[in-house]
Amino acid sequence: MSLAALQSSMEAAVIVAAAPIKTVGLGMAIDGRPILQDITLEIGRGEFAAVLGANGAGKSTLLKVIATLARSTEGTLELFGKTVGRDSAELRRRIGLIAHQSMLYRELTARENLLFFAKLYGIAEPVKRAELLLEVIGLSNRANDPVKSFSRGMVQRVAIARSLLHDPELILADEPFDGLDAPSVAATEQLLRHLHNSGKTILLVNHDISQSLQLASRAVVMRKGRIVIDAAAQSLNASQVLIEVSGA
Amino acid sequence: MTRSIQQISLLVGKDLRIEARSRQTVGLVVVLGVLIVVVLGLGLGAQQGGAGLAATAVLWTAYLFSGVLCFEKTMGVERADAALAGLLMAPVDRSVIFFAKLITNLALMLCVASVVTAAGVLFFSFDLSAAPWRFAGIMSLGMIGFAAVGTLFSAVVSSTRLQGGLLALTVFPLALPLVISSTQALLRIFRDGEDMGAQALAVIIAFDVIFLVASWVLFEWVLEP
Amino acid sequence: MKTPGKMVIAIYWALTAGLLGAAVVLALLYAPTEETMGPVQKIFYLHLPSAINTFLAFMTVFIASIGYLVQRKSWWDDLASAAAKTGVFFCSIVLLTGMIWGKIAWGSWWTWSPRLTFSLLLWLLYVVYLLIRSSVDSEQRKGMVSAAYGIVAFLDVPLVYLSARMLPDIHPQSITLAPEMKMTLGFWFLPITLLNAGLIVTMYWVHAKRRANRNVTETEAPRAMNLELLGKGT
Repeated sequence: MSLAALQSSMEAAVIVAAAPIKTVGLGMAIDGRPILQDITLEIGRGEFAAVLGANGAGKSTLLKVIATLARSTEGTLELFGKTVGRDSAELRRRIGLIAHQSMLYRELTARENLLFFAKLYGIAEPVKRAELLLEVIGLSNRANDPVKSFSRGMVQRVAIARSLLHDPELILADEPFDGLDAPSVAATEQLLRHLHNSGKTILLVNHDISQSLQLASRAVVMRKGRIVIDAAAQSLNASQVLIEVSGA
Repeated sequence: MTRSIQQISLLVGKDLRIEARSRQTVGLVVVLGVLIVVVLGLGLGAQQGGAGLAATAVLWTAYLFSGVLCFEKTMGVERADAALAGLLMAPVDRSVIFFAKLITNLALMLCVASVVTAAGVLFFSFDLSAAPWRFAGIMSLGMIGFAAVGTLFSAVVSSTRLQGGLLALTVFPLALPLVISSTQALLRIFRDGEDMGAQALAVIIAFDVIFLVASWVLFEWVLEP
Repeated sequence: MKTPGKMVIAIYWALTAGLLGAAVVLALLYAPTEETMGPVQKIFYLHLPSAINTFLAFMTVFIASIGYLVQRKSWWDDLASAAAKTGVFFCSIVLLTGMIWGKIAWGSWWTWSPRLTFSLLLWLLYVVYLLIRSSVDSEQRKGMVSAAYGIVAFLDVPLVYLSARMLPDIHPQSITLAPEMKMTLGFWFLPITLLNAGLIVTMYWVHAKRRANRNVTETEAPRAMNLELLGKGT
């Protein structure tokens, strides 16, 4: 084996083996006030981790930093083995974000929204992929209606479809159940379980503790910007976590 | 490079489609521009000998105010439902987002400028026949630099919380060299019948270049929260 | 930057005041009166150093704005706003002295001459900087918008200068300075520059202190409610 071939196969091995998320001493301060402190975390491939904590604990900020939407002021963040720097365009191809805001264009139809993002991501055969996802979310017959005419649950479904267009390996979800009715909550839970079973890595920020412990395989509890618990979800019970979250 | 151009046209297409669908921006902005011309016409006693050489004043006032409204609305589309975050999550260069928005803004401003100029010519009996192309050229060049800073600051300044006018406040003082240079150039052409002179043109072009580059560079920095 | 002792501060301001007093004396008594314009010309000794210091202050805003954008450390932001306030102060002096000179020398408070227009536009540019800061609620946003504007505004300054020069200049001024006048002018730079630096540094500390106090007071209230106080049957 030539040296070059050896090097590239080693690189390939690193890329395959690299953890989707790895942070070391991650910190973020705004105006001198620390929002995140000393976050050291490694989420392995196929893990489903839930980030829990009170309001202001820093969970959403942590997710934003991992999504490359915000920049940390200290520490390092590696996604899939690559350090996140100024140009992380290619890394973003491997991440899908579901937030409580839809990040869609109201005036456009569901189909137009999905087509737009599919083309933006440079997906091969964007029309086919958009149609497929419209069927997956069960909105093929409403695809030509503008998103502004949709209910919250329907909007969420389109947002989820958009986040899956490019088949990302890492799914980030920031309070995706916010404002959803019970059937939509159940459907979203079902989706997350399905994604987990397909081998995707999921990082879920959620304020419902028992729901999160049921869905996720791992729970990371934050308080005042730090991680206070990082354990397998089964080993924890909800009331114990609640005490941690509220802080004594 | 081709990828960037493709993405830019995709983004501009999206903006123009939303605009065509909602017709929110163009209508409002054009009407505001015309209203300003009307107010100035009445206030200056146009055609009663009061207007005289008020052409650039009237037009710039109308362009500046309607321009700012235009920039606020095109960026407002991205603010609603955090659509901008959706764009930022995609493998798209921030500068692509900037240029796409800039092109959208310029396209809309062109529509507005055409209608407003026509209104000005009508209500004020502006006589542009001496040098119509030079007039159009000077104003269009000025528009580019103005749109560049407008696009940059519309991304940073959010007027959602009862603070309308903040974008206008930010962009107007920056645009003053444009007003001065284009006015002086047009005075030389229309009043004195001379050639516009290199200095005015140089300032306008310098403005465009400096602010295009500065806005392009700063856009990326300000988008990172 | 730690606050230096009260002694140092007192000495600094005493020195500045002393130099300013001496400068005024020099201007009134030592420097000869210019022939064509009369005593009003002496306002120039205040005008020019203030103008230079305005520029220095605004350049500080520019550098601090870049610093904030790149490093995101709040002290850059504090420095930028301190320099902007000081700059506006000196720019106001430049504008006022220019207007007074114009009124006494040529009878009108305002002409759209290149110099006056330039002073006015510069003043507006940075007054808007201060207004933007006070209009934006979120601290983080404020820093970003100010920094972007601080950079762009400074880049605008040469363009403002060049375009103002295209305006017709009805009263061109060329002053020939006698040696005593040059000396007086040079001397004036001392107290004005000290005043500039002193004000910037003072405002910086004020801002930094205010920020530190703010960070202490903004925390979440204790979560538990005191329901037993409602009593039975409420």
